[in-house]
Amino acid sequence: MTLGDAAEPLVHIQDFRMDFGDTTVIRDLSFDVHAGETFGFLGSNGSGKTTTLRALLGIYRPTAGILHIDGKVFEPSDGARLGYLPEERGLYKKEAVLDVMVYFGRLKGLSKAEARSWSGAYLERVGLGGKAKTRLDKLSSGQQQKVQLGVTIMNNPELLILDEPTKGFDPVNRRLLMDIIEEHKRAGATVIMVTHQMEEVERLCDRVILLKDGVARAYGTVEDVQEEFGGTVYRVTYDGVLPASHLFDVVSDDDGQAELAPRQGASEEKVLRELVEAGAGIRSFTPARISLDEIFIKVYGEQHELAEG
Amino acid sequence: MALAQHNLGTVIAFEFTRTTKKRGFAIATLAIPVLLIVVFGLLYASNTTTKNSAEAQKNAQFSFTYSDASGIIAPAGAQAAGGTRAINPAAAIEAVRNGSSAAYFEYPTDPTREPVKVYGADKGMFENGKYEAVAKQLLEASAQHQVGSPQLTAALTGTVKFDSETFKDGKTAAGVGGVIPPLLFLVVFYISMILLSNLMLNSTLEEKENRVTEMILTTLNPTTLITGKIVSLFMVGLVQVMVFLAPVGLAYLFFRDRLALPELDLSSLVFEPGPMITGALLLLGGFTVFTGVLVAIGAIMPTAKEAGTIFGPLMAMMFIPFYTFSLVISNPEALIVQIFTYFPLTAPVTALLRNGFGTLNPIEATIVIVELFVVGILILRLAVHLFRYGSIEYGRKLNIAGTFRRSELAAK
Repeated sequence: MTLGDAAEPLVHIQDFRMDFGDTTVIRDLSFDVHAGETFGFLGSNGSGKTTTLRALLGIYRPTAGILHIDGKVFEPSDGARLGYLPEERGLYKKEAVLDVMVYFGRLKGLSKAEARSWSGAYLERVGLGGKAKTRLDKLSSGQQQKVQLGVTIMNNPELLILDEPTKGFDPVNRRLLMDIIEEHKRAGATVIMVTHQMEEVERLCDRVILLKDGVARAYGTVEDVQEEFGGTVYRVTYDGVLPASHLFDVVSDDDGQAELAPRQGASEEKVLRELVEAGAGIRSFTPARISLDEIFIKVYGEQHELAEG
Repeated sequence: MALAQHNLGTVIAFEFTRTTKKRGFAIATLAIPVLLIVVFGLLYASNTTTKNSAEAQKNAQFSFTYSDASGIIAPAGAQAAGGTRAINPAAAIEAVRNGSSAAYFEYPTDPTREPVKVYGADKGMFENGKYEAVAKQLLEASAQHQVGSPQLTAALTGTVKFDSETFKDGKTAAGVGGVIPPLLFLVVFYISMILLSNLMLNSTLEEKENRVTEMILTTLNPTTLITGKIVSLFMVGLVQVMVFLAPVGLAYLFFRDRLALPELDLSSLVFEPGPMITGALLLLGGFTVFTGVLVAIGAIMPTAKEAGTIFGPLMAMMFIPFYTFSLVISNPEALIVQIFTYFPLTAPVTALLRNGFGTLNPIEATIVIVELFVVGILILRLAVHLFRYGSIEYGRKLNIAGTFRRSELAAK
C-alpha cells in the first residue's frame, strides 16, 4: 500500500477536540500535513502534542473532530507503512535485540529473512552489531533508544511520526538520528516531528504548528511563523549601555550581545540611529529573522509571567 | 485480512517461543516430571524391596514351635511348614527368648475373640514380618483344609467379586463408568487454569510494564494481539500437560507392575454423547470466561503485584462450588446450587460437576453453555477495549468508565 495523494493532504485534522473528564485538553485544532513534507509539531509540555498524535493513531478516541491519515481513520490492520516513535519508549526488555526487531519487522509485513537482514545492517550502522543476541534490558538507555528507532523505521515508512525523537540521546546519537531523519526526508517520506529542539526544526521542517493549551497559536511555513511573530530582529554587539526606547523591545541581552525586536514602523535606520545617539557603543548591527526559540519564549513567556504574577 | 492472519501467526510464534524459552518456565515445567520420576524411582525401589520381602517371608523356612487350643491347626500342615507342637508354652517362649528356638505361635481357643500370639527372634523390622506371615498362612491353610471347599473359604474371607447393573429409562445405566468420562473435562479445566491463569494475567501486563503498548497498538490490531496471546498460551499449556504426562505414561507402559499402578480398564468407561458434548462445551465456555476476565484484569492493573490482589479471589471462585459438593450431587435444586450453576465465575465448575453426575438436564445445560459463551465473548471484547484504550495508562489503575465515556463522546 502506498500512502499519499498529491491532491489531498496525507494527514488531515479538522476541528479536533479532546476532553479528559471535565478538562478539555485540545480544542478546535485543525491542520494538514502534505505528502513529502517535514512537519514540526511544537509546544511546551502538556500543550496537547502527544494527545493529538495518539488520537491520530487511534490510541485515544477523539471527543470530536476528524483525524485522518490518507483520507481515513488510521487502523494498524490497513497495512499502512507507518513508523511511530512514541514519547513513552519501551520494548520487550527480557528479549534479545534481534528477536524483538524481527518480531516487529514481521508485524510490519517483512519476511523473516528480510527482517533479520535489515536488522543486522541497522545494528551494524548504529554500533550495536555485537549486541544482536543481548537482552534489551542489558543495554544502556541510549542503546535501547537506538533499537527503538530501528524498529520505528524498519519498514521504510512513508509516514514517520516521531514524538520527541532526541529525548534521551547524547549529542553523537542525536546527530545520527538527525541523519536518519534527513535520509527518509530525502527519500520522500513524510515526517511529523514533536520536538523542543528548535534549531532542528529550523533546519529540517518545512512547516510547523505551535500549540499552547490545546490551541494552535502559529501554523505555516517556518518563514510565515517567523514573520507572524515579528519577522526581523536586529542582532547587535555593543560595549556601552542599551537605552530604553519606544522603537524596539530587547528580546535578549547577554554579555554585550543583544537581540532587538523593532516595534511597528521602526525602520532599521531609525533603530541604529537611536542606538548610536544614545552612546550604546555599537560594534556590529545585523538584521536577522526571529528564531523559533524566541517565538516559543514569546508565546510561553506570557504564560510564565502570568503564573509567576 | 491476509495481514491480520499473518500477524496472528507472528504473534503466536513470538509469544509461544518467548514463553517456552524462559528459564523460569523450563524450571517450573520440568520440576513436576522430575519430581514424578524421583517419586516413581523411590516407589520402584520400595516396591521391589517390599515384593521381594513379602515373597521371602511367605516362603520363609524356619523351625518353630506352636500350641493350638482352637484345634484348627492341621498337625501335618504345621509339620510340613517346619512346626513342632510345644508341650509347655512358658518353656517355648523362654526358648525363643534365649535363642534356642526361632519362633513360637500360640493359637488361642477362639481366634475370633483372642489374638494369635507370635513370638520370634528379632531379625530386624522388615524380616520380623515373616513370623506373622507364616502363622497366618498356617491358620488359613488349616481352616481351608477343615472346610474342604475353596468356594466357601472365598465367601468367608470376602474375596468374592460383585458385578452390579442398574437400569435407567429401560436401559442399563452407565454407573461410575459413565460418571468418569464427563468429569475429565472438569479435570482438564482445572489443569488448564492452574497452569495458564498466571500467564494469562501477565500477558497484557507485560506490554504496560514495558511501555510497549503504543508501539504495538500502532502496528497491530489489539484483537489480533490478544487472540494470538490466548492461542499461544493454550499451546504452552498443551506442552506443559504433555511434559507432565510423559513420565506417567512411560511409567504405566513399562513399569506398571513394579510401581503397583492400577490397571486401566477402559472397557468399563461409558462415553455417552450427550454428557461428553455438554462437558466439552462447558469447558470451552468456562475457559473463555476466565480467559477474558484475566486478560481484562491485566489491562486494568498497572503492575503484576496489584493484579495479584484480584487474582486470588478470582481463582477462589473455581473452588467455591466444591464446598457444596454434596448438594450439587444430591440436591441440585437447592438455591445455592442454582446460584452457582448460573453465576458466570462458578458456573463452569458447578455445571461440569452436575453434568458428570447426571443432574444437569438438557435445558439447564443449554442455558449455561449459551450464558458462558455470551458472557465470555463480551468479557473478551471488553478486555480488548480496555487494552486498547486503557493500557496506555502506564503506572495507573484504569478508570473503566472513563474508557467508555470517551467512546460515547466520540460517537456524538
